[in-house]
Amino acid sequence: MDEQYLLKEIASLKEKLREKEDNLAKLRFEKQILQGHGLNNGEIARYSRQILLPEIGVKGQLKLKNSSVLVVGVGGLGCPSALYLAGSGVGHIGIVDYDDIEITNLQRQLLFSSLDIGKSKVIAAKEILERLNDNIKITPYKLQIQSSNALEIIQHYDVILDATDNVATRYLLNDACVISGKPLISGSALQFEGQLTVYNYAGPCYRCIFPKPPPPEAVNNCSDSGVLGAVVGTIGVMQALQTIKVILKLPGILSGRLLIFDGMDMTFKNLKLRSKNQDCEVCGRNPTIQTLIDYEEFCGSKANDKHQNLKILTANERISVNEYNELSHTPLKPFILIDIRSNQEYEMCHLKNSINIPFSTLSSKGCLDALKKEINKNETDISNVYVLCRRGNDSQKAVRALKNYFTNSDIQVKDIIGGLHAWSHDIDPEFPIY
Amino acid sequence: MWMEMSENTTGKSARVKILFFAKARELSGFKESEIVVPVLISFIELKDQVIEIFNLETIRDIVILAVNEEFVEPDAFLKLTEKDEIAVIPPLSGGTSFS
Repeated sequence: MDEQYLLKEIASLKEKLREKEDNLAKLRFEKQILQGHGLNNGEIARYSRQILLPEIGVKGQLKLKNSSVLVVGVGGLGCPSALYLAGSGVGHIGIVDYDDIEITNLQRQLLFSSLDIGKSKVIAAKEILERLNDNIKITPYKLQIQSSNALEIIQHYDVILDATDNVATRYLLNDACVISGKPLISGSALQFEGQLTVYNYAGPCYRCIFPKPPPPEAVNNCSDSGVLGAVVGTIGVMQALQTIKVILKLPGILSGRLLIFDGMDMTFKNLKLRSKNQDCEVCGRNPTIQTLIDYEEFCGSKANDKHQNLKILTANERISVNEYNELSHTPLKPFILIDIRSNQEYEMCHLKNSINIPFSTLSSKGCLDALKKEINKNETDISNVYVLCRRGNDSQKAVRALKNYFTNSDIQVKDIIGGLHAWSHDIDPEFPIY
Repeated sequence: MWMEMSENTTGKSARVKILFFAKARELSGFKESEIVVPVLISFIELKDQVIEIFNLETIRDIVILAVNEEFVEPDAFLKLTEKDEIAVIPPLSGGTSFS
């Protein structure tokens, strides 16, 4: 039995199973006995452990049942927040994500499992969340939220969660929430750090605190910098907690405060932020932003994490993986292959005969001098330096940096087009991709 | 912290603790350090010094500063003591990858 056949069979069995589960849920639902206050016996039992809390009670549970929350981004933040919102009985949860599930998501996006790879995130999440709690409604939006659709989607929800991973969408959601008068529960996490706050809830908005977007070179993301699942999960769970408190109008909401979590030191800092900025461009006294703008232009960066191919070098400053493969087997001239990824990435996988000089250290004078020594100490003159990275973007920047250094020499510096991804795709399918 | 300038503190300096978060940590290479600054200092002067000393030029426009866990308004004038703790905080968020 081959893999494709098995996958197909599993999918069809799952569909059958789901049909039967739906029927069972319907049957059970029809048998439910509704009490005078509006909760049925199943709901009373299911939510009893939180209804017991004096701050919640039956009244609070009904508020949750009648509330609607939009989770934008079903990733490391959105998975845990949606799980806890669904568990607590928020009656209607919208989930927005344009993306499909990849194997690199599974370490932190715990709604998904190995067999979901390739499926739509929102569809897979809807199935899991409905299975967790069949009393609630889940609305999936498989799309990228943007200026043309944000206000229309947001208007159906009471509270919005920013569980996204990019700056452009953060400004978009902020402005859309200010314009629509909705609280925005904003979370973010990278490496071992997380930040959490509530915007536009009788306090400042994102623009009051950060009026200017970061320059593209100041932005890191999970696929480059890494993130630990439990760290981003901690923030996601607390986003759900903030949301529940906003719905229940409980005190102690992180409006005008920024919670900073350091998962390495295991410390939380609770920073007092400014009050609303009267001159804020979107929520101030005389707002200049009254409709949504072009946020990718405003931020100078894309609103998704899809990788782009930079074109910095000319064709004769680059070689293909095929060309490199050939010349590495029969080198006419001795060469050096520099892999400029981080030490951790190099440790995961690398090409034979490559040396590792991370891009962050490459342009330092000490490093360049050492490299020159290495080249000069060889008896045979090295005249070619090849630079390699994961996808062939940073390698171009590195070639520029090296060329500025080796100005008066015969050394040819080129990068390998498409990097190790191209190597795995075109030359060695057994080479790992991450 | 927000005090008017008084005669006896003019010209004095203080050694204060400084904490870095997110991108500021990566650029400065520190989680925590110390900085000697005039006791009486405006937000703008303090920010300029922090950015120059700790190599934070790329995030100049996006960092917020906090003194003792309280946001410093851009037009503030500070009176610092050795017990004070400054935090340098850029927003934390992902973005398009170019690697």
